[in-house]
Amino acid sequence: MTGKTTNHIKLGMFVLAGLLFLIITLYFIGKDRDLFGRTFILKTRFHNVQGLVPGNNVRFAGIDAGTVRKIIMINDTIVEVVMVIQNKMQPFIKKNAITAIGTDGLMGNKVINIESARQEAPHVAEGDILTSRRPLNTDDMLRTLDRTNNDIAVVAENLKTTVWKLNNSTALWALLNDKGIPADMRRSVANIQIATARASAMMANLDQMVAGVKAGKGSLGRIVTDTILATKLDQAVDRINSVGEEAGKLAGQLRAAVTSFQHDLNQGKGTINALLKDSVMAIRLSNSLGNIEQGTNAFNQNMEALKHSFLFRGYFRRLEKQQQKAAGNKMALQ
Amino acid sequence: MLTLQQHIPVKTPTAGQPVITISHLNKSFGKNAVLKDFALTLNRGEHLVILGKSGSGKSVLIKCIIGLLQPDSGSIEVLGEEITTLEHDALDQVRAKVGFLFQSNALYDSMTVRQNLEFPLRRHWIQVTQLEVDHMVQEALEDVGLAHTIDMMPAELSGGMQKRIALARTLILRPEIILYDEPTAGLDPITGREIIDLIMQVRQKYGSSALIISHDMNCVRLTADKVIVLFEGRPYATGNYATLERSEDPGVKQFFQ
Amino acid sequence: MQLPVKTRHFLEEAGSLSAFMGRFLTSIFKPRFEIGEFFRQCYVIGYRSLPLIALTAFIMGLVLTMQLRPSLIAYGVESQLPAMVGIAIMREIGPVITALIFAGKIGSSIGAELGSMKVTEQIDAMEVSGTNPFKYLVVTRTLAAMLMLPVLVLLGDAISLYGAYLGVNIKGATSFSLFFTQVFNNLAFSDVLPAFIKSFFFGLAVGLIGCYKGYYSSKGTEGVGRSANSAVVVASVIIFLIDLLAVQVTDALGVN
Repeated sequence: MTGKTTNHIKLGMFVLAGLLFLIITLYFIGKDRDLFGRTFILKTRFHNVQGLVPGNNVRFAGIDAGTVRKIIMINDTIVEVVMVIQNKMQPFIKKNAITAIGTDGLMGNKVINIESARQEAPHVAEGDILTSRRPLNTDDMLRTLDRTNNDIAVVAENLKTTVWKLNNSTALWALLNDKGIPADMRRSVANIQIATARASAMMANLDQMVAGVKAGKGSLGRIVTDTILATKLDQAVDRINSVGEEAGKLAGQLRAAVTSFQHDLNQGKGTINALLKDSVMAIRLSNSLGNIEQGTNAFNQNMEALKHSFLFRGYFRRLEKQQQKAAGNKMALQ
Repeated sequence: MLTLQQHIPVKTPTAGQPVITISHLNKSFGKNAVLKDFALTLNRGEHLVILGKSGSGKSVLIKCIIGLLQPDSGSIEVLGEEITTLEHDALDQVRAKVGFLFQSNALYDSMTVRQNLEFPLRRHWIQVTQLEVDHMVQEALEDVGLAHTIDMMPAELSGGMQKRIALARTLILRPEIILYDEPTAGLDPITGREIIDLIMQVRQKYGSSALIISHDMNCVRLTADKVIVLFEGRPYATGNYATLERSEDPGVKQFFQ
Repeated sequence: MQLPVKTRHFLEEAGSLSAFMGRFLTSIFKPRFEIGEFFRQCYVIGYRSLPLIALTAFIMGLVLTMQLRPSLIAYGVESQLPAMVGIAIMREIGPVITALIFAGKIGSSIGAELGSMKVTEQIDAMEVSGTNPFKYLVVTRTLAAMLMLPVLVLLGDAISLYGAYLGVNIKGATSFSLFFTQVFNNLAFSDVLPAFIKSFFFGLAVGLIGCYKGYYSSKGTEGVGRSANSAVVVASVIIFLIDLLAVQVTDALGVN
């Protein structure tokens, strides 16, 4: 009989241990899913929930605050997300808090992050709809990152070449001793700057005009409602745009070069001092400066031509009149 | 199902009255007809031996009597009850009064001798105290002369001892009828003789009726009041040992050579 | 039309097994209840199987973790190891491996025990002794197997997780509480409950088939051996079939 009792005790312990593990498991899962705490409902709306599913975590200030209960399509562009939030979080979440869909790690589950806004606001209540922010899409992010990476690689490659060239230069001294070159450079820079300023001003005007044309406004608008003309106009604007950008870049680079040369020269030391001995490089630099001047001239000519083209004549004329009216304005076209 | 008091038979048939009556019994397995229009009568206090070759349907007959097999047709009346139509509970009540000694002993090998003997007691009699059970187990074991084996497992016992324990388990319910299925089969002649002696002692002490299935002539000679020779599913010849021994019938004679 | 012999045997077997199960189901609720024998069987079938289950479960958890680690490192998600192992164990490995070990131990022992009882007429002796052997032997054992296997699965899961915890710590260092949090944070009811429920069916299959094979064992020692053997084989196959069925059901119910 005692043996039988012992067996029953062992059996009881065995079964209880098993059930205990079951209960612990279920409790912890339930705790994780907010089944046992008191909760309330908050809602938010997105255009795109990026694969968010019911059961995903909701975080407030990085702390797990609840879970997504359901996701409802409101119409063809808006998706409503219903969240179950722990009651203990209620005093901290304000009505103006912002929700955003994030990712747990780079590849992890989606989460909804609730962030506080700086402004004061009353606490949220059951069923409130929080405003949402356009989610940061990892795909987009990665794509941008990829492009940036490529750019950096190109820049680094260029920089390497430049440094290598500089390192191998023998006659930059001669170039730098030529008093004329800095002056030339400065002049070119000034020219380029003027050209750039003009170009950008013209760009602004052109943009405005193109907008007007597209909308079919004004006399010019009437003339160019023809779509072929509009396309040509767009192309022209694009070309001008790129020329302006190039000019701007050139100006910036030149200015930087001049500044650094002068700095080095003033110091009378540095690597450049030892390395500026390449006469070929000097000639090349001088040639480039000539090219830049030519380029600037050509650009100015282009501008002139543009002014006289039948399309833009009326526009430039009107611009002239406006400028004459505006006292003390020396900008752009005479 | 019965209390100790209820178990004392109320309508005990007087000596000489039939306790088992079988008539027109048919039983076949598939196409093999084992029992064909079989009939027999066992009277109170009588020891009837059924003699037959292996596979002649002796065991089938005895299992039909205890309700382990359902006959195809015919009537089996045991202690005034028609076995073939009895409900389960009523059948159990009849079974409590009929002991069955299995050919293979059928001792529960996961239980000790004591538990083996207690098993039918506790099963048939719900209201019985531990003291009474202990007393009855002791008495049954003493009947077969194996009181010392009470806490042993069946596997620790020899074949003859197992047979005697099995007999003790059969006797513990004080059956009115005992069915012996090949009681001496598989035992050496000396042990077999011991078992035969035991059967005679039981008869003397309890005055029970018995149906013995055997092809051991020694057993038949010593235990039988009446012998039925079973041949091809029918009672081929009936008589006492002495008359059958003198029979010239080849079907009978083959057993007595 | 005459069916091929093997097909006929198979259908016959399937039919009589179904009838056996029907008899089991109807017998559960009808007195008399063999409570004492049921508890004894629970002890034998459940408690006595624990050491074996514990050993295999522990090794399973440990090995699974060590096997998964290289793949997860390759994907740079080594930190997800506890979550992966936890889900694998709780959902599939725990119940199925435990059930298979259980089939090997209990299915064969029930098959052999009942088979030898059948052969040595013990089942008949029981019937004659005023006991319904079906209730005394089959119902108690099947019910005990059905109820004890889920307990064994739960304990096996727990021990497996502990093995996994050690496995994580062989090559790295994780606190028990972090491991624990990671495992349970990644589990859902839909991981645990279907696995728990299906383990009842695994237990039912093992117990019922062991009993069926033993109860209808053919004569002779060879028959007993065959009962034990086919009890394990059939039970193992049926465990996988139930597993297949379970995943379909959970899938259809949308709780997967």
